Amino acid sequence: MSTDADAFLSALRLSDSFLPVGSYTASYGLEQYINEDRIEDGEDLRALIAAYLRRLVGPCETVAVANAHAASADGDLEGLLAVDERLHAVTMPAEFRESSTKAGAKLCELLLAETDGDEHSSTLAEAIEDGSTPGHYPVVFGVVAQHRGLSRLEACLAHAYSFVTGLLGAAQRLGRFGHTEIQAALEDLQSVIESVCERHLEDDIAAMTSFAPLAEIMGMRHERAGRRLFMS
Amino acid sequence: MGYRDVAKVGLGGPVGSGKTALVKRLVPELVAEGYEVGVIANDIMTQEDADVFRESFADLLPADLVEGVETGACPHTGIREDPSMNLAAIDEFTERHPELDVVLVESGGDNLAATFNPELADYFLFIISVAEGEDIPRKRGPGVTQADLLVVNKTDLAPHVDADLEVIEADAGEVRGEDPFVFTNCKDGTGVDEVLAHVEREVLFA
Ligand SMILES: Nc1nc2c(ncn2[C@@H]2O[C@H](COP(=O)(O)OP(=O)(O)OP(=O)(O)O)[C@@H](O)[C@H]2O)c(=O)[nH]1
Ligand SMILES: [Mg+2]
Repeated sequence: MSTDADAFLSALRLSDSFLPVGSYTASYGLEQYINEDRIEDGEDLRALIAAYLRRLVGPCETVAVANAHAASADGDLEGLLAVDERLHAVTMPAEFRESSTKAGAKLCELLLAETDGDEHSSTLAEAIEDGSTPGHYPVVFGVVAQHRGLSRLEACLAHAYSFVTGLLGAAQRLGRFGHTEIQAALEDLQSVIESVCERHLEDDIAAMTSFAPLAEIMGMRHERAGRRLFMS
Repeated sequence: MGYRDVAKVGLGGPVGSGKTALVKRLVPELVAEGYEVGVIANDIMTQEDADVFRESFADLLPADLVEGVETGACPHTGIREDPSMNLAAIDEFTERHPELDVVLVESGGDNLAATFNPELADYFLFIISVAEGEDIPRKRGPGVTQADLLVVNKTDLAPHVDADLEVIEADAGEVRGEDPFVFTNCKDGTGVDEVLAHVEREVLFA
């Protein structure tokens, strides 16, 4: 059993950009928004990331983290594979799927395959490694978080938080935003993270869906962008 | 007094493109025009650039207006994500010299994606060299496209490295749109006046 301190430290570790899973290469379409001059200032950026949270991270990825966490707690391998399959199906842009499965494979290698090793997680790790399930990041994240004693809500919060800081970091590298402006956006987004996670915590996997057409179009246009610093 | 009360000019660009050479050209001109100037160097490994400045500016600037700031092997972090230590150095400048007009901040040599945090630099120059290849502008690095002023240095070397200045000019014009760029030769000072004119107009008179 994890102690609370253990779980707390694991939450920090999982949401830290220090975690080597390549998240710094993903912009989830943000690079395309910036290339097309659709983000003028910190306020636009904050509003855009809030929309990502409400329409994409919340209804898709948070639902995946929460359900993966629950399936892992039940030792339900079929349940885990079903979450992974559903997330794959509802993630439209190819590059979003690619960023997510690449990071998922790395997190699996780093924390699931080697160290966690109960039966359903070793089987999941093998399935990811041999390509029989896509291995999306939120799914692996949910399992790893559950093993390390994070509650379902904590797992969702840690995941959403790292998504937000990942996107803010990408914005800072792509555009010209001051560090205090970025921190002010993060401060504002904290309450959005909370409400989105609470709202989707109990959603069934059948409810997993995104409604972020512009972000998805940006993600798809990014595939053919002339200038690309990011993988998605 | 603090970093918000002084004009700050950032100089970024790849390793060896001529950032230090340009600062060495600009400081005497600024001092001659009566500005009080501070200089910060973010060298990657050493205090070498700061030492070069201390020596070159020994008769021009008070020693406590030249500072080297280490960036923990992450030169772009120091000028972009977390400029705290550079801002702290500028705060010290302004405490000791409340009349300070402008601080030049030289980034450690970096890649074409390095840009300055707008809170660290009111105005940002990106310095590339023709000797790094005539294709640099058309790679559209954020440094090249987003800088307030693009400086293409070492024009004297163009014939020796098969770089065609007309190609660079056409590409720079295309990727920069309305934004300015200047050709310089820091060895003999050609073009430095033009850089200075931009800095004065956009930063010091602004
Ligand atoms: N021929 C020629 N040499 C130059 C010119 N500008 C700078 N140099 C030389 O190029 C070398 C590198 O110049 P620096 O000014 O130190 O370059 P830097 O960008 O400050 O380099 P780092 O701080 O190490 O990234 C030095 O030997 C300079 O004398 C120029 O316009 N023409
Ligand atoms: Mg230098």
